[in-house]
Amino acid sequence: MNQPLLPVVPDLCAVGEQGELELSGSFCAACRRYAYPRVEHCPGCLQLTERKPVGGRGRIYSYTVIRTRPPFQLPEPYAVGYIDLAASGLRVFGLFHPEAIEQLRIGMPVALEEIPLGINNDGQLCLRPVFSPAGTSDEH
Amino acid sequence: MSTEPEVFVAGIGVLPFGKHVERSVTSLAIEAGLLALRDAGVAPREIGMGFFANVLASRLFGDSTLGQNVFASLGMNRIPVVNVENACTSGSSAFHLACMAIRSGECDLALAIGAEKMCLPQMGLLSSGNTDPDTLLGLVTPASFALRARRHMQEFGTTAQQMAMVAVKNRKHAALNPQAEFREPITLEQVLNSPLIADPLTRLQSCPIADGAAAVLLCSAKVAQRLSCRIGVRTSILVSGSYDNPQDLARWETDYRCARQAYEKAGIGAVDLDLVECHDAFTIAEIMHYEALGLCSPGEGGRFIESGAAALGGATPVNVSGGLLSRGHPVAATGLAQIAEVTLQLREQAGARQVHGAKLGLAHCMGGDRAADTKSATIVILAT
Repeated sequence: MNQPLLPVVPDLCAVGEQGELELSGSFCAACRRYAYPRVEHCPGCLQLTERKPVGGRGRIYSYTVIRTRPPFQLPEPYAVGYIDLAASGLRVFGLFHPEAIEQLRIGMPVALEEIPLGINNDGQLCLRPVFSPAGTSDEH
Repeated sequence: MSTEPEVFVAGIGVLPFGKHVERSVTSLAIEAGLLALRDAGVAPREIGMGFFANVLASRLFGDSTLGQNVFASLGMNRIPVVNVENACTSGSSAFHLACMAIRSGECDLALAIGAEKMCLPQMGLLSSGNTDPDTLLGLVTPASFALRARRHMQEFGTTAQQMAMVAVKNRKHAALNPQAEFREPITLEQVLNSPLIADPLTRLQSCPIADGAAAVLLCSAKVAQRLSCRIGVRTSILVSGSYDNPQDLARWETDYRCARQAYEKAGIGAVDLDLVECHDAFTIAEIMHYEALGLCSPGEGGRFIESGAAALGGATPVNVSGGLLSRGHPVAATGLAQIAEVTLQLREQAGARQVHGAKLGLAHCMGGDRAADTKSATIVILAT
């Protein structure tokens, strides 16, 4: 397969100004409110939002390792959780890097990357954003 | 405010939950509807409106708008029929709509039927929908509760043993319910040693899938008098999630908000309840619902189950039917089965699992997953 892998959801993440991968969300200037995943209209004032990265670094709020038959050919087991993003304050759902499963704990600093993982709804191998343990010193 | 009920339970019908391999969704639904009509002693032509709850037939069988098939088969053609899909609260949402139909004066008798058939090889874990980004990133229903469990343990010191006690208690209750899917007693060790699904939750802390159907027939005060119905609907509440970010996974705001609204509307408090049927999809869920429903203080749910207060004979028995954990969880039938259970209890017809002298009972249900919140929550309070 020479075709480059596609992301599981288009525009879910992108490299931000700092040169690091960040989740792509939206921001309502009137309500000063971030949203992820991105929304077109702010639910608070119904104005159009602007696209904005919401961050790629944060700390684990909660996590779990799923040991039942995984969907989308994800690895067995695989881990998911909620991450409090430093840049926007949003608490976002995300996958953890399969190699990080044993290290996860609440409060751990993590950073986003994109790796080939599982398949999409069309059965094609694809890229997924995952959080991996990151040093505390480089948390933005 | 007036607490005089305007809506009454005229009849109930519940099929045993479990595997009904040879039967269709509509066949299960028709039988539950028939049982409710017979229980009430009314003819199909008296029913003014029908609500049919189902979640999975479109996905699993490619069927849609089954409600009209069900009601027509029960001799209720021509009348308005609405198909209801609200995830796990589909049944209680159908009930809510039936209440509204009667309160509005649109009709004097409205029938809510919920049916589900899900014991099939192609049935995977429930999720929030195949195109939802969270689903595509691996969110399955057990995970969203495991994530709550971990926060609850971290913040309140809730233990794995306390969570497992919920499963043991509900199985003990189910042994007294001939209609429950799983009735053999289980021990704390068995619950804790069953395979991990999403840690810290094990298989025996996760509600099993089931086929099943349940129906509740509601009537106006005028008809209630004729039929001598004495179980009144004190309140029926349906709310959606706030989806505020960040969500507090250890204190479920939508759950608390739904309970507060229900108690305010009914003019009662948690202390007045004789029994509760709640949405114990996972053990941690029941512990969190104790707190949201005010059966104990926030964070005290683990200690509440340990105290025995939630067991039959305790201060407020919870899920004497066996709950979702042991009665089984045919998604769209569950909400109506809970309401039927509370009705049976208030009628003093619950046999070996009867809560003696029950006069006021609550049925609580939650459904769907969005932005770390529930999509829907319902509470129904019934009184004699």
